[in-house]
Amino acid sequence: MWAYILRRVLATIPVMAVVALFVFSLLYLAPGDPAAVIAGDQATPDDVERIRASLGLDRPYLVRFGAWVGDIMSGDLGTSIFTNLPVSTMIAQRVEPTLSLCLLTLVLAVSIAVPMGVVAAWKQGTLVDRAVMGFAVLGFSVPVFVVGYLLAYVFALELDWLPVQGYTPFREGFFPWLENLILPSIALGGVYIALIARITRATMLEVLGQDYIRTARAKGANQAGILFVHALKNAAVPIVTVIGIGLALLIGGAVVTESVFAIPGLGRLTVDAILRRDYPVIQGVVLLFSFVYVLVNLLIDLLYTLFDPRIRY
Amino acid sequence: MSITIPAGTAVAPPMPDILPDVKPRRGLLGFIRRNPTMAFGAALLLAMLFVAVFAPFLGTRDPTALAPALRTREPSAQFWFGSDMLGRDVYSRVLYGTRVSLLVGFSVAICASAIGLFIGLMSGFNRIADSIIMRVMDGMMSIPPILLAIALMALTRGSVQNVILAITIAEIPRVSRLVRGVVLSLREQPYVEAAVASGTRTPAIIFKHILPNTLAPLTVQATYICAAAMITEAILSFIGAGTPPIIPSWGNIMAEGRALWQVKPYIVFFPAIFLSITVLAVNLVGDGLRDAIDPRLAKRL
Amino acid sequence: MDRRTFIGAGAALAATGIAAPALSQGANARTLRFVPQANLANFDPIWGTQYVVRNAAVLVWDTLYGIDDKLVPQRQMVEGEEVSSDGRTWTFRLREGLRFHDNEPVRARDVVASLTRWMARDPMGLMIRAIQQELVAVDDRTFRWVLSRPYPKMLYALGKNNAPMAFVMPERIARTDPFQQITEHIGSGPCRFVRNEWVPGARAVFQRFDGYVPRQEAPNWLAGGKRMMVDRVEWAIMPDPATASSALQNGEVDWWENALTDLVPLLRRNRNVQVDIADPLGNIGAFRLNHLHPPFNDVRARRAILMAMSQEDYMRALVGSDEALWKRLPGFFTPGTPLYNEEGGEVISGPRNMDAARALLRESGYANQPVTVLAAQDQPITKAQGDVTVDLLRRLGMNVDFVATDWGTVGQRRAMKNPPSAGGWNIFFSWHAGADCTNPAAYTAIRANGDGAWFGWPNIPAVEQKVTEWFEAPDLEAEKAAMRGLNRAALENVVYVPTGFFLGYQAWRRNVSGVVKGPIPFAWGVSKS
Repeated sequence: MWAYILRRVLATIPVMAVVALFVFSLLYLAPGDPAAVIAGDQATPDDVERIRASLGLDRPYLVRFGAWVGDIMSGDLGTSIFTNLPVSTMIAQRVEPTLSLCLLTLVLAVSIAVPMGVVAAWKQGTLVDRAVMGFAVLGFSVPVFVVGYLLAYVFALELDWLPVQGYTPFREGFFPWLENLILPSIALGGVYIALIARITRATMLEVLGQDYIRTARAKGANQAGILFVHALKNAAVPIVTVIGIGLALLIGGAVVTESVFAIPGLGRLTVDAILRRDYPVIQGVVLLFSFVYVLVNLLIDLLYTLFDPRIRY
Repeated sequence: MSITIPAGTAVAPPMPDILPDVKPRRGLLGFIRRNPTMAFGAALLLAMLFVAVFAPFLGTRDPTALAPALRTREPSAQFWFGSDMLGRDVYSRVLYGTRVSLLVGFSVAICASAIGLFIGLMSGFNRIADSIIMRVMDGMMSIPPILLAIALMALTRGSVQNVILAITIAEIPRVSRLVRGVVLSLREQPYVEAAVASGTRTPAIIFKHILPNTLAPLTVQATYICAAAMITEAILSFIGAGTPPIIPSWGNIMAEGRALWQVKPYIVFFPAIFLSITVLAVNLVGDGLRDAIDPRLAKRL
Repeated sequence: MDRRTFIGAGAALAATGIAAPALSQGANARTLRFVPQANLANFDPIWGTQYVVRNAAVLVWDTLYGIDDKLVPQRQMVEGEEVSSDGRTWTFRLREGLRFHDNEPVRARDVVASLTRWMARDPMGLMIRAIQQELVAVDDRTFRWVLSRPYPKMLYALGKNNAPMAFVMPERIARTDPFQQITEHIGSGPCRFVRNEWVPGARAVFQRFDGYVPRQEAPNWLAGGKRMMVDRVEWAIMPDPATASSALQNGEVDWWENALTDLVPLLRRNRNVQVDIADPLGNIGAFRLNHLHPPFNDVRARRAILMAMSQEDYMRALVGSDEALWKRLPGFFTPGTPLYNEEGGEVISGPRNMDAARALLRESGYANQPVTVLAAQDQPITKAQGDVTVDLLRRLGMNVDFVATDWGTVGQRRAMKNPPSAGGWNIFFSWHAGADCTNPAAYTAIRANGDGAWFGWPNIPAVEQKVTEWFEAPDLEAEKAAMRGLNRAALENVVYVPTGFFLGYQAWRRNVSGVVKGPIPFAWGVSKS
């Protein structure tokens, strides 16, 4: 098993290398000249040339790639073209809101979607099942910003229950923090709820068809007990897997949700950077998100081997 | 098929069927009976196709014609869906926007499937290619698709082709993985091994045995890609990294109307409904296809 | 990013903190929460000339002079000045007790270094630099400027509100290459910039500096005593106007600099919100043509645009349905200011004539070549002008190559002199604050000195002749005469196409008092109950 873990960990290296190469090429291929941007309106060609040399932009592709990878390894993600701040500082400033949003969405989605999926599977073919599946399809079909605006309109402007926008850091209190995040989490959670509810229902159907469940049912075991103890336990692996894979969906959605609710997180940083063509920032954020994605999926994989003895490699 | 029994032969009288034949209804009605949701989805999708093709004949006017003096009018007989900040007719823009969304959805589905199929087949049949291709695909897959598409759009100038290209690239890894999985499992099948043993050349095996079997799951996947691409297009336009704004697309109309969301909600509302309905239709068709192609999958997902 | 960086980033997060310390209810009234017009993406007021950078910088850095609401420069950091009888030697003396935010005194050599950096980037500064013989610190509070020719607009140059303003920074910071951003924000103004709370794209925080010595006079725009009535000014950047409007209605912010016109009726219905014109000097929309390449190298093609365009269309697209917010502008200068005139403006104020315009365009030799239009989509003002222009050009029968892009890219591409087919351009859009357009001093966009002119590089000696006449004008009458000639020459040769004069709204909560109309949202004198 240790050999498997080692192999699995090592396998992430080429993946991250591909991401790094891609992200670097993005900057390299980018149109426009960062040196010209930095120099501004009134600069002469000489000024631009001087800045280009000072940024090392006049060196060949592979040399620059090597230097860049070296910088990253030592923790230097470069400097934003527009703010002149280190990219790692800009990212650090914005990790908390995005992390909060994603975690709350995850908690919310799992606690809503799993019971939904379980009930739908239990009542397969009934109206309840259809309603749940209908909702799931709907969740895939309505874009997150539409849900966001609807929620903001109803719960913030009309009813005035929750704030419209913004973010309160966690250390200023749990409830102020929560208050700001409820609407964005629900908006962002839609797709995730749909995804998890569907996969839960599907795996539950499979597990419920197994002999030992039928036996338990025949013995007259408590229904809720069967559902949540026997069946759900065995359905957990695919559900957790889809949570890991769905992370990509979550990150993509966060980019939009943060714009709608003015949350100062990584998503808005990304959008701002893209609109201004601030390539070092784009690079840093894409690299970070990919790293998190790879890391989370690695952890999920490893958890299986630890907790499910049936999985052998 | 019936067997003619010679006269005089002693035969047992025909047994009544324990399970009487369910005579499957044929034709359109039968199909609708058996797959109500898919039929519903297909009908919606056809309606949208109709709207896209016949947009100029459905009471629309030039969707780009400005009339600043008639801006932000509520829906009325003159402006069925109201007018936007530049006095353009929202109804016409939404109808013409159908073209862009469907074009992006279908083009991405077709291109991503075709390229993904090719890459998947390659890596399924060549071990060396496989190890390289799959590392690259893993890398690309670890970048969230919307982020990847956004990053690609940052490289290029906003145009419908570039949007299609960016979303396609973001979707290819998933298709390739799917095809590769199918290929690998099919290669283990006895009939394929038999074909290999009997000296059939690889291209023949691919075309005779592998390809037909990949098409089914690929088609299902393609519908989901189509739906996802339409949403991604809207998101790209919404954050200002998508289709150029002079081409009316649902995402653009919503992006332009978002500032006035509180006072003129209909500018966002109408394209949002059209987008949601279309994506819903495609998803329903996809679910129906999946159930029809592989009833086992119906239970699995 | 490797694991170590990631952990490092987490540690940095814990160390720097990402937001304000907890505020009690009482402290809330001491904090002014302000929604600025745009993101404070960089913060070097000499390097970056965006209005938003300038607006933040006036809180942090002080200037030697400052204009008042009559556009007259008044003493600010200086106690007095002396000019020699030949007008060539200026001697300035600084006020006593001036301090930087690191509590070091402001010395003449700091001023000399600051002015030197400023001159390299400012159009008026460049004019002064061209005739400068010597700029030296005489003692800690005195500095002398010797020129080869008199420069009558000296005090205006030092006190103007147009970016880059002549801000005073400590010498070590002012020694930064003018083409590189400064990394330290030690100011001389009424507020300290709280750098570790700055999150570009989200917030910027300014803390009152207790060591600041305001002048005794009442505050008047950039002149007079800049007294801070609140402890903190927090900028919350909200790119989405719908969000900003909701936040103001719910009391989550106190003051919104550029309230979207379409949302103003909604704000007016809210009893807790007050709405007023933001800047009485307004803005002038600019539709910029490239004079180097066909078709607009021919004056007839430029005139055809002027004959066909409807300022009403542009203005309605820009400011919405509120008639009080815009004015037809048959010229280039700010209405309501002393030198305003409409000389030669019939081509804009007269009836539109599409057929004549088409004929003139044909006569200019336009042969259906594509016209490259750069339209930044992230600025509502440039976006609206772009949309109206495409419609106009198509009706004129032109072949439009519409480049929808962002403001940063426009900023880069407009500097390219290549033909449009080789990365250049034919048309882009901008706007000029009315405060910049009262006279030609800081109005780079009106200049027509070829390579020295603003993007589009008009080369029209008749226009430059009038500009020189204004700079050398001895009195107001002579200035007015020069300006009338300038307006006519600039219209006849179409330096650029003015799309109209427009105003914007600002909105604030009723518990905020002291908000004034002006070209900059002045935070001094504003208090909150």
